[in-house]
Amino acid sequence: MELKQVLQSWWRPLVLGLAAAVLLEGATFAQTMPIAERAKLCGACHGEDGNSRMPNIPSIAGQPEFFLVHQLILFREGVRKVPGMNELLNGLKDDDLIALAKHFTVLAPKSSEEKLDLALVKRGEALVEPMRCASCHLPGLEGQEQMPRLAKQRIDYLIHSLKQFRDNRRSGADTLMSAVVIGVSDDDIAALAHYAASR
Amino acid sequence: MSRTMFRVLTAASVATALAFAANAQQVGFSPLDRTDQKKSKQDLNLKGHPTPSTMTPVDKLPLDKLSLPAGFKAEVWSHGHPGARTMVMGSKGTIFMGTRVLGRVYAITDRGGKREAKVLLQGLTQPNGLAFRDGSLYVFAIHQVFRFDNIEDKLDNPGEPVDLTKAFNLPDTVHHNWKYVAFGPDGKLYVQVGANCNVCEINNATHGQIRRYNADGTGMEIIARGVRNTVGFDWHPQTGELWFTDHGRDWAGNDGPEDELNVIAKGNEGAFFGFPYCHANGVPDPDIRIPNACAGVTLPAATTGPHAAGLGIKFYTGSMFPKEYQNVAFIARRGSWNREQKFGYDVITARTDGAKATLAPFMTGLLDEKANAFHGRPTYLFQMADGSLLVSDEQNGAIYRISYSTPGATKK
Ligand code: HEC
Ligand code: HEC
Repeated sequence: MELKQVLQSWWRPLVLGLAAAVLLEGATFAQTMPIAERAKLCGACHGEDGNSRMPNIPSIAGQPEFFLVHQLILFREGVRKVPGMNELLNGLKDDDLIALAKHFTVLAPKSSEEKLDLALVKRGEALVEPMRCASCHLPGLEGQEQMPRLAKQRIDYLIHSLKQFRDNRRSGADTLMSAVVIGVSDDDIAALAHYAASR
Repeated sequence: MSRTMFRVLTAASVATALAFAANAQQVGFSPLDRTDQKKSKQDLNLKGHPTPSTMTPVDKLPLDKLSLPAGFKAEVWSHGHPGARTMVMGSKGTIFMGTRVLGRVYAITDRGGKREAKVLLQGLTQPNGLAFRDGSLYVFAIHQVFRFDNIEDKLDNPGEPVDLTKAFNLPDTVHHNWKYVAFGPDGKLYVQVGANCNVCEINNATHGQIRRYNADGTGMEIIARGVRNTVGFDWHPQTGELWFTDHGRDWAGNDGPEDELNVIAKGNEGAFFGFPYCHANGVPDPDIRIPNACAGVTLPAATTGPHAAGLGIKFYTGSMFPKEYQNVAFIARRGSWNREQKFGYDVITARTDGAKATLAPFMTGLLDEKANAFHGRPTYLFQMADGSLLVSDEQNGAIYRISYSTPGATKK
């Protein structure tokens, strides 16, 4: 388990770097690129159909449009930082970002191939009720407006992002999410992630 | 307190929280937070309203909805700057505007009666706290503090700031910690540090305060404690006392506890304002109960409405508005989310009398009570040299200018 974590954290920047190097070649002319082609560049990391097959990279298929637009603006502005992705959005207008969001919001979300731990799913189920995840993310955890879809999201990314909120490392976020997970243990975060991904 | 000591304290409180989570049946949102939502009997699906990070076209601004007392008129002063919140003015007339999630600071300049807004800084974490002094712009982004010297000569390229983050040594917890800051009449820089939860036991040494510092971050003093989340303050022009807005807790009912308008009376610096035990006009907390919850608590000058979210406060000292507005405080209420029937979304006045205040409506119309919907969210106020009042609208990324001329001459 520990080894896996080290590996993941070690090779994540490498993967991003490689993908970025290939993509950035086209980045200057990317500003005038038609939307479908631009979305293909995103697919290199997020999966062509918006469902990511790469560790710690989120699926973006079927996310609420408002959430996508808002987060894309935060990436363009450099509030949220991802090497290789920020550059792709450089100089894009709000309308371009809205078009990208419209492209991904209608794609069908699919579960990743990560293995669900059913005991954790059960533990997570007991936690979401008192922690009221559904009040914002909706009962099916499909998200709404500024609240992202959690259902069918990658488990590793859910864990990663919950820790970011807990440890005050997710820039630009609505801080309500930090208030929700402050003081939550790593084990409980894993349980919440397995449950959410299983929806 | 030293940084390491702060870390130790944080680590200790997290450790306590974890022990708590392991042993006890959790009631609140999180192991730290003690909110018991079910007890509130509110619609449990209430949630924050989304704030657009995109531009609202000028013809979609809710100008025609605004309603003011006779003789007052509202116009669009500037627009196209999403996330519009705090406003301060440089000595050469630039309006600097802070935002929250969008991470931008705008510079708005007047070019021959037309306003031009440009993104001055971007990629910051909630740069709501702005102050200006001696040519320098101070930017507070949660715990980060930057000073941009001679900024008005460098609007096209602000360059590298002086980093004062270490000197101010603010907690890096984000919730309720987008800063409000301002220079006081004493030349000190006053800084908010909110409670990073809805309702929880906070460490009084680090959270739930108003502090003041020398401009370089030295000489920190805590001048108010037990403050849940103030997001605006101003000094009374005559008494020099500090008045501040403070948001009441959520999930304890639709009707309260109400928000507060507080005053730190002369000689009462360091006073305790009640959080988390005692709210509003002496309402003991329903979730964190202690005996005599309100003993020793400085109660508010006025309560400012349930979940109304009073933000900016400005005492009026201009010459344009009628005499009866002299030294009267204007308060922008951003409007509720944790209330079934929406409330606020307006600007009110507070007439102060000693340590008490009386409230009255001023700018209304953004709340459609029948449809339970809103058209805009006033956040901060700024008094211009000519005595007109600027009101920022975060929802629409705009600033409205409110002016006055004797009724009969003009009519809105
Ligand atoms: C180099 C790889 C890479 C490329 C190319 C890339 N992204 Fe990303 N993207 C990421 C990573 C990694 C994250 C997660 C960031 C984090 O951990 O905070 C992310 C996050 C996101 C998110 C936020 C999702 C969430 O649930 O928070 C959105 C939306 C997004 N990307 C859209 C896009 C779009 C649209 C494009 C194409 C213009 C794109 N990305 C290209 C790597 C990439
Ligand atoms: C008060 C409303 C609220 C509640 C309750 C809430 N969330 Fe969230 N959540 C949000 C918002 C808003 C965001 C978007 C944050 C941002 O702007 O980056 C978010 C984001 C997230 C993300 C990031 C996902 C991504 O794709 O980037 C995860 C994971 C998450 N929430 C999980 C949970 C879980 C698990 C719970 C219950 C324990 C929960 N949330 C409860 C409002 C809420």
